[in-house]
Amino acid sequence: MVRYDLIIVGAGPAGLSAAIIAAKQGVRTAVFDENERPGGQLFKQIHKFFGSREHRAKVRGFRIGEQLLEEARECGVEVHLNATVMGLYDKKEVLVMADGETHHFKADAIILATGARENFIPFAGWTLPGVMGAGAAQTMVNLHGVQPGSRVLMVGTGNVGLVVSYQLMQAGIQVEALIDAAPRVGGYGVHAAKLARLGVPFYLSHTIVKAEGTDKVTGAVIAQVDEKFQPIPGTEKHFDVDTICMAVGLSPMSELPAMAGCQMEDKGGAVPKVDACGETSIPGIFAAGDAAGIEEASSAMITGQIAGIAAARRLGYVDEEMFEAETDRLRASLQKLHEGMFSPQNRGRNDFTETDEGYPISQSLLHKGYMEDQEITRYPGAVSGKSGVHPVIECSQNIPCDPCQDACKFGCIRVGDEITRLPCVNEEAKCTGCGLCVASCSGQAIFLVDETYDEEHAAVTLPYEFLPYPQAGDKGVALGRDGREVCEAEVVSLKINKAMDQTALLTIKVPREMAMTARFFKKKEA
Amino acid sequence: MILDRSRDIGEFVPEKDDDLIICRCEEITKGEIRRAVHEGMWTMTEVRRYLRTGMGLCQGKTCGRNVKAIIAKELGVKPVQLEDCRARGPARPVEMGTFGDETEACIEE
Ligand SMILES: Cc1cc2nc3c(=O)[nH]c(=O)nc-3n(C[C@H](O)[C@H](O)[C@H](O)COP(=O)(O)OP(=O)(O)OC[C@H]3O[C@@H](n4cnc5c(N)ncnc54)[C@H](O)[C@@H]3O)c2cc1C
Ligand code: SF4
Ligand code: SF4
Repeated sequence: MVRYDLIIVGAGPAGLSAAIIAAKQGVRTAVFDENERPGGQLFKQIHKFFGSREHRAKVRGFRIGEQLLEEARECGVEVHLNATVMGLYDKKEVLVMADGETHHFKADAIILATGARENFIPFAGWTLPGVMGAGAAQTMVNLHGVQPGSRVLMVGTGNVGLVVSYQLMQAGIQVEALIDAAPRVGGYGVHAAKLARLGVPFYLSHTIVKAEGTDKVTGAVIAQVDEKFQPIPGTEKHFDVDTICMAVGLSPMSELPAMAGCQMEDKGGAVPKVDACGETSIPGIFAAGDAAGIEEASSAMITGQIAGIAAARRLGYVDEEMFEAETDRLRASLQKLHEGMFSPQNRGRNDFTETDEGYPISQSLLHKGYMEDQEITRYPGAVSGKSGVHPVIECSQNIPCDPCQDACKFGCIRVGDEITRLPCVNEEAKCTGCGLCVASCSGQAIFLVDETYDEEHAAVTLPYEFLPYPQAGDKGVALGRDGREVCEAEVVSLKINKAMDQTALLTIKVPREMAMTARFFKKKEA
Repeated sequence: MILDRSRDIGEFVPEKDDDLIICRCEEITKGEIRRAVHEGMWTMTEVRRYLRTGMGLCQGKTCGRNVKAIIAKELGVKPVQLEDCRARGPARPVEMGTFGDETEACIEE
């Protein structure tokens, strides 16, 4: 039987981060993951992440996975892929299935970083082919290059539902609508706005009633719900879709700690009871990341590191002083992500009417997925009526994110140290129109507007992540925040370079009065 | 309190979506689960042994939450008040040939 100091189950952001910090202290560490690729959920996340630079913000999820794997290999972590952990038994014995054989391993400390699984809700026809988890659809398009269908209904407007919907659209699949039983969009407004300006409608206070079809999905019926979440007869709507994606929450994967005899508790699904370092009721067994409570990759990397350093201390590789210093640093970093209206302690709350700064929250954003034109300039990131090019930041909720302030080398944008604050535009600083803020914004919420482009026209620069790219001179229509065609538009330029990391800057020219309205471009079909 | 089996939970009343499949691996319907509760199966483990819910390929990863919600509703309690099924190895489906192949080589490698 092979022995390690530390065995980690799961090579997602939590497991890999735990492995790196422990191995750097000399801990002999092995990571097992059942997938053929490491990175856990990260490997299918092609979008730019939120957070701050210390949380690897603005980097696309799959690149964070690649970075973590490389760091882990560099510091001597053994990463075993295609290796499923089947059991966790007495005296920290781990049973692994790999290459069609079972193998036994032992370690003095274990970190469980097994992540989460997708929830499902049953409805008539939910077992038909074509009904699938949003995560499954995301794996198909982003990992395997396969379209799950051609027309999709997305159930759930949390960040998973919003992000996956957008990525399906990027893969050439039409998302017909997003629905949610809750009365408000659950995820970040900036994610919802990206979909709304493509013309995707949101139906809040609606549930799925039925998937139609005999051998596969051929349609879906939704209905409005009352306060008790019961469908109201007569409010049914039909959609011609061949795919129904469920993004109705995640549950921690907790079989292993339960099997090992750890004390469990219910936190939206069973999780092991853990202390501030992630240690369970069994000394030397830790849990981190989604397996200890659903959050996100950014926080999973930190809880993973906390568990990793705590395991190293338990194994005698780290002294008390260093342990204290490291955990203080990590907790401070975690706290930055835990501020604001979307923090874990505010989960399920939807009664915010104002931002931390006292700005009213756009109700239109919460109910329809986009802000009304006249609401934009309420916020400190948007001014209009200025001459010359300037940024218009349509980021109106306290989300943990600040790449925009790092991006602008000219001091035009400020978020401050508390990264959940709204970005503000400094009107004193001179914007050069470089566009780095537009490309860096993880929420694609920054536009450059030049209301004095020429006598009659304004120029609007927007982030563009669809292929094929439009070319200078292309004519078409501009879409408003609600996805409706608002005016004619012509492409002035399309800029893309390495620093922009695949977010192209598309500049269109529109009638001047449309400067604060036009937010997307659709080429005229030839 | 939850498991006070003398408690009256009323008669089984048919519902119109009783034929909805809840555990798709073992093809167990909502009605079967509700009926099982009225036949005295008041815990996740009892229902599992009685009907095989959560004993198929996914090992309850898809249906576990939903089975729990149905049992809880039938008993008039909150889902969090019900215990999950006992977790046991193997945590994933595995061929018996692999699982049982505890050769010296595997143990001593
Ligand atoms: C669609 C979507 C979009 C998201 N977008 C963002 C975002 O923009 N920003 C953000 O911060 N977060 C985002 N998240 C959340 C983020 O992906 C997760 O919170 C994060 O991946 C959790 O990390 P983890 O290491 O705990 O688990 P995971 O990433 O889930 O990794 C767990 C790993 O453990 C393996 N495993 C489990 N059980 C076993 C076993 N028995 N044996 C062997 N291996 C096992 C799994 O296969 C997996 O590889 C998103 C999630 C989804 C689904
Ligand atoms: S375009 Fe360049 S100069 Fe202008 S605000 Fe953005 S980053 Fe700053
Ligand atoms: S504007 Fe700034 S804070 Fe808002 S999503 Fe974009 S980068 Fe993040």
